Amino acid sequence: MTEYWPWWAGAAGLALTTINYAVTTDRSFGVSGAWDRVLHWRAERRVERLNARFADERVLTAAIAAATADQFGAGSAAPAAHPTPHGDARAPRQDGPPPAAPSLSLASLLPAPLISQVALLLSIFVGGWVAAVTAGRFQLRLDMGDAFGQIVTDKPIAMIGALFIGGVLVGFGTRLAGGCSSGHGLNGCGRLQPVSIVATAIFFGTGVLVSFLLWKVI
Amino acid sequence: MRTRGGILVANVIAGLALGYSVANIGFGDYAELNRMFTFQDLRMLLAFAGAVAIIVVVFAVLRVRRTPGRIHAGVIPGAILFGSGWAISGGCPAIPIVQVASGYLPALVTIAGIVVGIRLCRWANTRYFHLDSGSCQR
Repeated sequence: MTEYWPWWAGAAGLALTTINYAVTTDRSFGVSGAWDRVLHWRAERRVERLNARFADERVLTAAIAAATADQFGAGSAAPAAHPTPHGDARAPRQDGPPPAAPSLSLASLLPAPLISQVALLLSIFVGGWVAAVTAGRFQLRLDMGDAFGQIVTDKPIAMIGALFIGGVLVGFGTRLAGGCSSGHGLNGCGRLQPVSIVATAIFFGTGVLVSFLLWKVI
Repeated sequence: MRTRGGILVANVIAGLALGYSVANIGFGDYAELNRMFTFQDLRMLLAFAGAVAIIVVVFAVLRVRRTPGRIHAGVIPGAILFGSGWAISGGCPAIPIVQVASGYLPALVTIAGIVVGIRLCRWANTRYFHLDSGSCQR
């Protein structure tokens, strides 16, 4: 059986996964969000059908511009360039480096296709299975390992109860907090989002507290 | 890769890489997880923190845009519930999938719990909480 990766290899693996996804899709991924959308697939399909009506970004942009022009006049429909004393239009002069203003496309604001969320969950299974088999760790078993038996419970019925309650807390908590260890922890903290830093600090802190309680007290 | 097909391919690649990495780091192993949370072994903690550090630097260099999100009333209680559930069951939403893929069949119960919890949260949010749906997932 192969040993687990050293910390630097794990860091590189998780970072490469997150960076590759963000760079190639201009999006974040989150496993709890994928679960949420797959489990509510009927409602998500309805949303996708509505979004499909506005799939052509140019049509939507033109419609918004026309509506804006109707409401506020033609001059407000498009961003106006600053006229120069010579009468030609140029980009406004800026001192120093230009501010970071990455382009926002409509497509990147829409949710990822529902089928891609199903694919994400299935691919995690395949990736995990390949890792377990190639490392010689794959073994069908009806327990969660010796450590779970020692720290939480070794009684089968109590184990089922603990796993189910733990799962409910994970599912409810991640959606209430708006993300999990991949969404908040990797993607959100990687973007230095305050909400993700707060959420990650709290769920890690609670994990530490509960683990110490299970290990030392209970 | 920003078309529908491209996003599908990107999700398959991300899922394979995430599952492979998480399994090889040892997040699916309850003993390793408990050693991380009780600071008996810092290897997995350093793997996670190291990944975040690399991502922060690369995102800053590439000027990857931020996604909208604010600290709403559900963030802190949700994170507390999640942290508790992770420490008890040994699974965040991706890990039970990896555990089942590694042969830990009781992790199917964790997945069942996650399914119930997610559906319960959306129901409760629609009916009672009326909070933002989330900040990370799109």
